[in-house]
Formats: sequence, C-alpha cells, structure tokens
Amino acid sequence: MQGIGVVERGTTRRRLMAGAAAVAGAALAPGSGRAQAPGTVKVGLLVPLSGIYARFGQLMRMGAEIGVRHINEQGGVPSLGGAKLDLHLFDAGDSTEKAKNAAQRMVADHPDLVACSGAYLSSFTLSATEVTERAELPMLTLSYSDLITTRGFRYVFQTSARAGDQAKVTLPIMLDLAEKATGKRPATVAILTDNTASSLSFVQPIREGSAGFGVKIVMDETFTPPLSDATQLIQKVRSSRPEMLIMPITVISDVKLLIEKMNEFGLGRGRVPTIGSGIAMAQSDLLQNIRPAQMEGFITVVGNWDAKGQDKIIEEFKAATGEPWMGQNGIATYGDMWIMRDALEKAGKSDRRAVAEALRTIDITEGAALYYPGRRVKFDANGLRETAGPVVVQWQNNKPLTVYPQDSAMAEITWLKR
Amino acid sequence: MLQLEGFLQALNAGLLLGAHYGLMCVGLSLIFGVMRVINFAHGDFMMVGMYAAFHIFTLLGLGALLGEGAGPYVAALLAAPVLFVLGYLAQRFLVSRVTGTRVGNLEGEGHYAQLILTLGLSLILQSGGQILFGSVPVSVPSELSSEAWELEFAGGALVVFVNQARAWGAVVAVAIVTLLVLLITRSRTGKSLRAAADNVQAALYMGIDVDRAHRLTFGLGVAITAVAGGLLASSYPFTPYVGLEFVIIMYAGVVLGGLGSTVGAFWGGLLIGVIQQCSALLLPTQLQNTAIFAVFLLVVFLRPQGLLGRVSERT
Repeated sequence: MQGIGVVERGTTRRRLMAGAAAVAGAALAPGSGRAQAPGTVKVGLLVPLSGIYARFGQLMRMGAEIGVRHINEQGGVPSLGGAKLDLHLFDAGDSTEKAKNAAQRMVADHPDLVACSGAYLSSFTLSATEVTERAELPMLTLSYSDLITTRGFRYVFQTSARAGDQAKVTLPIMLDLAEKATGKRPATVAILTDNTASSLSFVQPIREGSAGFGVKIVMDETFTPPLSDATQLIQKVRSSRPEMLIMPITVISDVKLLIEKMNEFGLGRGRVPTIGSGIAMAQSDLLQNIRPAQMEGFITVVGNWDAKGQDKIIEEFKAATGEPWMGQNGIATYGDMWIMRDALEKAGKSDRRAVAEALRTIDITEGAALYYPGRRVKFDANGLRETAGPVVVQWQNNKPLTVYPQDSAMAEITWLKR
Repeated sequence: MLQLEGFLQALNAGLLLGAHYGLMCVGLSLIFGVMRVINFAHGDFMMVGMYAAFHIFTLLGLGALLGEGAGPYVAALLAAPVLFVLGYLAQRFLVSRVTGTRVGNLEGEGHYAQLILTLGLSLILQSGGQILFGSVPVSVPSELSSEAWELEFAGGALVVFVNQARAWGAVVAVAIVTLLVLLITRSRTGKSLRAAADNVQAALYMGIDVDRAHRLTFGLGVAITAVAGGLLASSYPFTPYVGLEFVIIMYAGVVLGGLGSTVGAFWGGLLIGVIQQCSALLLPTQLQNTAIFAVFLLVVFLRPQGLLGRVSERT
C-alpha cells in the first residue's frame, strides 16, 4: 500500500561506505526528487522501533501512518499534481549511537527524502539532527530539550514548547487554574522529583521562581529512580501538608509506587493536587499497572495531547490501534505529516531545501495547526514553533483529558477545595 | 511526634520490604552455600518468576477465581514449581558442567567458568524476556497494593500505615524461610544437601548423590527467589531487566548475613530493607542505596564472615 513504508535497519560496512559518500553527495546537491516513483514524495519517520523505547516509537508510527493515509486519500499535495506521500520508517533503536547511525542510513540511502520527523527522546533527536542538519534535511520534532533549537541549526523544527519554557510557565498556569476552580491561590507547594535531567530541568524554575509568585516551598525531595518503596517520600508529603505537589516522574514503576502510596495515605484522587511532567503519568501502559480510578485528579504537563476538534482522528486511531487514547506521540506525528504536506504545497517542488524554506516561512492556523496547542504553525528564526506552550492534562473519569489551553481543552480542571 | 511517626513508618516499611529482600537472598545463599556457585543470573531468574506469576494469574483467571486479594499470592506460590523445573534443568544441563565433582580439572576450581556461564545465562534470560514479554512494564493486579491498616497511637496523634500487600507478602516470606529451615535441618533431603555442602568427597563416600543434591539446590534456590519476585510483582511494575535492580541488593544481603548461612541471608535482606528505608530519615533520599553499601562495607571491615557466617572455611 502506498504511503506506508517498511522499517529500515541494519548496518554493513558497504552500507556505511555508501552512506558516507551519499552524505557528502547529499550535502552538495540535496534533494532533487530523483529515483522516486512518479507522483510520490518520500518523507521519513525516525523513531525507536526496537529496544526498550519501541512501544513509544510504534505509537508514533501509527500516528504518522494514519496521517499519510488521510493526506493521500484527500488528494496528496495539489501543487505537485496530487503527489502522494510515501512514508519510510527508520529504527532509531535504544541509544543515541543507534539513532545517529539510523539517521546516517536515512540520508545516505534516501537522498530524495524531503523531510522527516522524530526521534522520540531528546537525546536521540539531538544526535540525529547533527546528521540531518549536514544533509540539509528538515526534521520536525516533539522532543522538549532546550538545546534542539538553540544550537543555531537551520533544518530542525520543534513543534513543542521547550522544557525550560514549559517549566517557567507551569507554576503560574497552575496557580491561575487553581484560583479559577476554587477561588483561592495555593500558597504552599511541595516538590518531589526523580533526578533525571528532564525532571530536574522542570523543577528548577519552580524552585527559583516560587517566591516571586507568593508560594512557599514546604518540602523539596529528590530521589534516584527506580524506587523500591515510596513510603518515606509520601510520609514527608503528608507531614508537610502542601496545597500543591509538583511531582515530575519518568519511570512507570515509580509512578505506580508513588500514586498507590498517595492513595494509601489518603492523599490521592486530588486531595493533594499533584502536577507531573511528561507522559509517564498519562501513558496507556499505566492501565496495566494501576487502577485508573487511583489516577483520578492527577495532572501532568506535556507538549501535545488529544484535544478538542480532533475527535474523529482520535476515534480512528483508537479503532486502528486498540489504544485507549491517542496521546502526544500519536497526535504529534499525525500533525507532522500534515505540516510536511503543507510545506510541500507551499514549496511547490519535491526538494528538501525548498521544503525547509517553506517551513521557515509557513504561517497556518487551519489544517495542520489543529493538531498543536496554540492552533498555529509558525516557526521562529531558531525553528521553534512560536505558539508552542504546555498542555495540561488531568485524569478524569479514568482517562487523561486536556484541561489547558482553553482552545484545546476537552474538560474543565477539577481542583478540590480545602 | 511527627519525627516519631516518620521513624515508625520507616521501620515498618523497612521490615516489610526487607522480608521480601530476605527471601530473595535466601535463594541465592542456598545456591552459594551448597554449590559454591556465585549465580549472576539470579536476578534474572527472579524476573522469570515475576512473569510466571503474572501469566499464571492472568491465564488461570485467579483474579476472578480468588479475587485480587489472594490471587497474587497464589500466583506467586504457583510460580515456584515452574521456576524449580527451570532451575533444575539449568543446573542439569549447564551449571553442572562447571560445578561439583567436575571442577577439579577446571582453572580456579571452576569459578571463572561459573562466572562466565551465569553472566551468559543472565544475558540470555534478559534478551529472551525482551523477545517473549516485550518492554512494556506490567504488574500483577492487586487490590491490596494501595490498601493499608491504619495503626493509631497516642489517641490518634500518631498514625502508622501498614501496607496490606507488603504485609501479607512478608508473612508468606517468613513462612517459606521457616519451611526451608525445617526442610534443611529435619529432612533426609536436607541432610543430603548439607552433606554435599560440607564435603563433596565425603558425601560421595557416604552414598549421597551429590549431583542430585546440586540439582535440587539450584531448583530450590531459584524457586524461592521466584516466589519473592512474585510477591513483589503486585506492587512493583517489572520489565525483563528488573533483575538488575535487585541482584546487587541480593548479594549485599547474602554477604551481610554471612556467606552460606541461609537464615543469615534472610536477616541480611531484612537489615538492608530497614537501612534503606530508615536512612531517608537522616540522609537525602538519593543516598538510600549508598547507606546500604556504607553499612555493608562496615560489616565486611569489622566482621568479614558476615553477621551469622562461620569464621572458618569449610573443609
């Protein structure tokens, strides 16, 4: 079936040699569209399809494949005579080295790729974009790292808010949401975080900026994942009696231990409003490890999520994959395919440089924009989407629902009055 | 009052978790004590035990049959015979090549070969687990994992939460260790295991089938640790790499308790649980495991034979 690619992986010496030559060639004369079937445009998806992150890569693959199918069913790229998108999949594996090798194979074996999306983990994206940048291949990414669009690269386009930016605005957003829901701004906060880079970068601006918002930090604990028991940590939360708990956790076993312990101690289900970061607290795998009722009221801040107006696509994704919701990995790659299509339409030719230039100047508020918070696709000079901001998701009635921003919200936030 | 409550809570959590650690350590210690094999695949056998409990629970429908209260414990116990057979076969066809009466011809009394073999087994179990079970974390559903008995003291000013899943798990762990001690000290099979442990040649002269004793030992050691894994599986999501998170704790517990001492290994594991949880009262939480190894080094320095180990080498 056109538009659904095969997974390409594996490295041989001959391939590497060919790759090196082709990288050089691609840098000199990138993307002419040669060797493609008539009426098709090659786009890539570089995500983990093997190893411990394969599950997330598969979700991204499902989103991208549905996106490509929809685009092709709706006429492909009109300015290219209705050319269909032809999606090629590349396995980023489970390490930065493998991600970089996969990127090298991608640009070497497919000089006619016009754009790609990837690569799930920020560390994978950082290493893969070193390759795509040299090959002048535009790459769209949901990865959060601040470094992605602060290195002066011209061919990377970040659709989500940077981690640092998310963290800076999270506290005031949460205080406003709490005040709107209860009429009272929380005055005390506890911080309970693991010591992974993303969690620490999330809590740092909160530690530094809380006083400026009139919030007192009553507990601040950092632990090394994975936990073997959460009793001591939740006992400290119980003793400090915060009005709000910031709890960015990245390991699913820690989510289970902490959430179950909070419920055991009578602090769960929104009694202590708890805000996490990233998808660990909202991924569907949680359903195999914890009763969804115990997640009720927990909040997490992510880069993208199922939103208002996407119901048809979400239902199709759920039917096709058996997943209970789409989540940021599926929705982001679905949207990325539409951004590529819009950029190709604007570029008017199947050329990666032209597509990159189109991405730099594109400004759309419909179509692809529907799949991103802020509902606008316009990138700044660094490649960061200008209206990218955090999406606040809260577990309500056994599933995580978007509650912020307002134009994407599928439900009102619930915040128990004390 | 809050500090006292924190201490009691930590002690309670440490004892309950420590009982699970203790059971893991007993399995490892039994194998080392009888066979003198340092089994680096022990954590991975525990992982297989966790998956066995998980699949027994789901395939037999134990949740519907017995409820999510008792079901996980029955699944953990039923994982034991599965892992016993796996351990028995692993010893029969692999470990026996580098242990027992055959090690005389091997360099370092077979310890180098044992090291490589068990490390290889570990890698095979991890990779095989990845292929068979995937990388999505799972856990055995339990309605008790977030339920607690609330013990009130001082007119309710002081409350200690006793997690029900961990508490029942600790009871099962103590029961299994008790049964094992009775088996080793009171039964004819136990005597043959002890004889094989004390002196292989003498045991052979006395007509004891040492190879069979080793097969039983390896099977029992693996099965006991599998039960410990199965007990944890309801409160701890696991993947095929979960063994790595526990194998160091197992070794620390075995050395703390005294190499080769089955009861000592249980106390060693229990002590590690208490140190791990109580250290968070004084030190940053990040240093929980550092505290374990600080105490471990102290014991090695002051009492190298471990808390309940024997001073002299066996003849």
